[in-house]
Amino acid sequence: MTVIARGWDRLTLPGKLVFTLVPLLLALTVALVAVIVVFGQPIIDILVANLPIVRFVVAVTVILVMTVPTAFLIIYMEMKIIALMNLRIGPDRVGPFGSLLSTVHGLKVLMKEDFTPTGADSLVFTWAPVVVYLASVMSLLVIPFAPGLFGFDLNLGLLYFFAVGGLSVVGLLMAGWSSYNKYSLLGGLRAAAQVVSYEIPLTLSVVGLMLLAGTMSLNQIVLQQSGWFTDWYIFQQPLGALIFFIAATAEANRTPFDLTEADSEIVAGFATEYSGMRFGFFFFAEYVNVFIVSALFVTLFLGGWNAPFPLPAVPLDIDLASFNVGLLFIAGLSPVILTLLFAAPFYLISSRVKWWQALIIGFVLANLFIVALLGAWAYIGLDWVAGILWFMGKTYFFVFTFVWMRGTLPRVRIDQLMDFAWKWLLPVSLLNLFVTAAAIVVIRSGQS
Amino acid sequence: VSFVPGLGIVKGMALTLRRFFEPKVTVMYPEVRRDVPHKFRGRLQLLYDEWGTLKCETCFQCAQACPIECIDMGGIDTRGRYHVHWGAPETYGERREESALRRSGRTVPDPAYRPFQPVDLGEVDRILEEFDHDPGRMLEILEATQAAYGYLPVAALKRISHVTGAWYAMIYGTASYYAHLRFEPPAATDQAAEVARMRPAEATYLTALGSALDGSGRPGEPARA
Repeated sequence: MTVIARGWDRLTLPGKLVFTLVPLLLALTVALVAVIVVFGQPIIDILVANLPIVRFVVAVTVILVMTVPTAFLIIYMEMKIIALMNLRIGPDRVGPFGSLLSTVHGLKVLMKEDFTPTGADSLVFTWAPVVVYLASVMSLLVIPFAPGLFGFDLNLGLLYFFAVGGLSVVGLLMAGWSSYNKYSLLGGLRAAAQVVSYEIPLTLSVVGLMLLAGTMSLNQIVLQQSGWFTDWYIFQQPLGALIFFIAATAEANRTPFDLTEADSEIVAGFATEYSGMRFGFFFFAEYVNVFIVSALFVTLFLGGWNAPFPLPAVPLDIDLASFNVGLLFIAGLSPVILTLLFAAPFYLISSRVKWWQALIIGFVLANLFIVALLGAWAYIGLDWVAGILWFMGKTYFFVFTFVWMRGTLPRVRIDQLMDFAWKWLLPVSLLNLFVTAAAIVVIRSGQS
Repeated sequence: VSFVPGLGIVKGMALTLRRFFEPKVTVMYPEVRRDVPHKFRGRLQLLYDEWGTLKCETCFQCAQACPIECIDMGGIDTRGRYHVHWGAPETYGERREESALRRSGRTVPDPAYRPFQPVDLGEVDRILEEFDHDPGRMLEILEATQAAYGYLPVAALKRISHVTGAWYAMIYGTASYYAHLRFEPPAATDQAAEVARMRPAEATYLTALGSALDGSGRPGEPARA
């Protein structure tokens, strides 16, 4: 008992909260499942009746949980790809090809001291990373990942996206202000100036697209781009896509516009006084932002989850029930038969291969075959599997491009950054808007 | 073409993409050790034999073989008579310090110590002209040089080496082979007597050492038959 009491006394206030809330949440979840199992039908009826709420809770949870592995993956990609571009090998010690290194980084950040400077406004200081991170996560809610796989289908989705994305400025300013450090404050102001400046061309560059699409719902925009890849909006709005890409790079604070966190220039900018997991949230938010910006670019200009060409519809109506008891035999015997089938050639061709080695090879190959078969079946039979594959493929291509740019381009100066936003991007995006609007007016008046 | 905006960015991106697929230069150090380059000679170090005497006999072979001419050395010749040197004259004196000679386990012929003195090389040039700068007639050149100066000054030998193209080590070898050629003025040749006169204690010690070593070889070694 004393051990537990002493351990409890050593915890900080957030630690006490976490150690209370997490078991409580777990217990509540278990209780909920148990209640559903015991009382059954009425509870399910209630859940079905309130489907939007259930859907909302599930979507928020899934997206919140999803951001962490996404950030890990992008951090690993960044380390590895930049290393390969520098003719180095990069992370290779933890996990296969060093793929667990970003997880180790995450754990390291968790174990570091969570430091609050004397004189800091501790409430604002604590909430700033939360605001920045939540701004990223919340903007992920409206992105359609696959047919039917999205948090909301807001009819103001794009506006919501920019509004919530703009919240991160508040977080940056909070971090800079509350740190009680003039360098943090300067860094925060600089970051805010950059993000606000690039928000304008970013928003203006998609107004032309909104005129074309006639809607702000991201799901509708994706649906309008279905068919061949020539239907994607990038071919109708190439200038808009270019401006969006540049402005989004600056929005996500990526090279060559990564002045807010330029490690070599300003002392970590607004995050100077942050350490431990609070810094980790800023860090994660940056990488989640990379994903979000890529996903939004794919959604708006590259057809979202649409395949570049319509696949021929393969009728896939295997009635599993018609096998009756035979299904059991098929499920039980097919792994064995496949294993033997794949093992046989290795055993027969070379006398040097022992029977157990051949069996191992056969087992691995059979598993690969079954997984490939299931994958193909899922791709053909479930449209959301195909959708999410295409969406993630396109998105991670752009994530790769962002990393690639970081491996190539030097950082711009702050005055160049501002000049570029106000003197080039803003006029060009206005030009794009006017030309699009004029073209729409001319074409529609010709049609009517 | 270079004025096209954004072309530099495209070029840079293409470069990094090419690098992405090129073979990597990293050596996995603790597991893999790269081969030593064949011109690598390591740190220069003079070795001692089992009696604590320098193994270096000042033969200049190392200096001659040095591919980047970084070896610069001086010392006493194998018979303990003359100062020889390889390298720039300004580093000469330091190598002949008495303590260095003493450390090397050789006798220290003090009167022989003469700082490097530039000599009038006009005479050498005249001789070389006479013998047509021919390294094949080295013995005649050296004899003529000794006739002109009374001995073979280091500066003159270096001049001969420089002009004829023969290696200093070979000229030195030629000169030290013949007993009638000498590297010091005749007055300084009688070194032992000079040492005995100036430092009698050391001369006594050396004599005793010599007689102790004479029949029985080095200490710790079985007596020779």
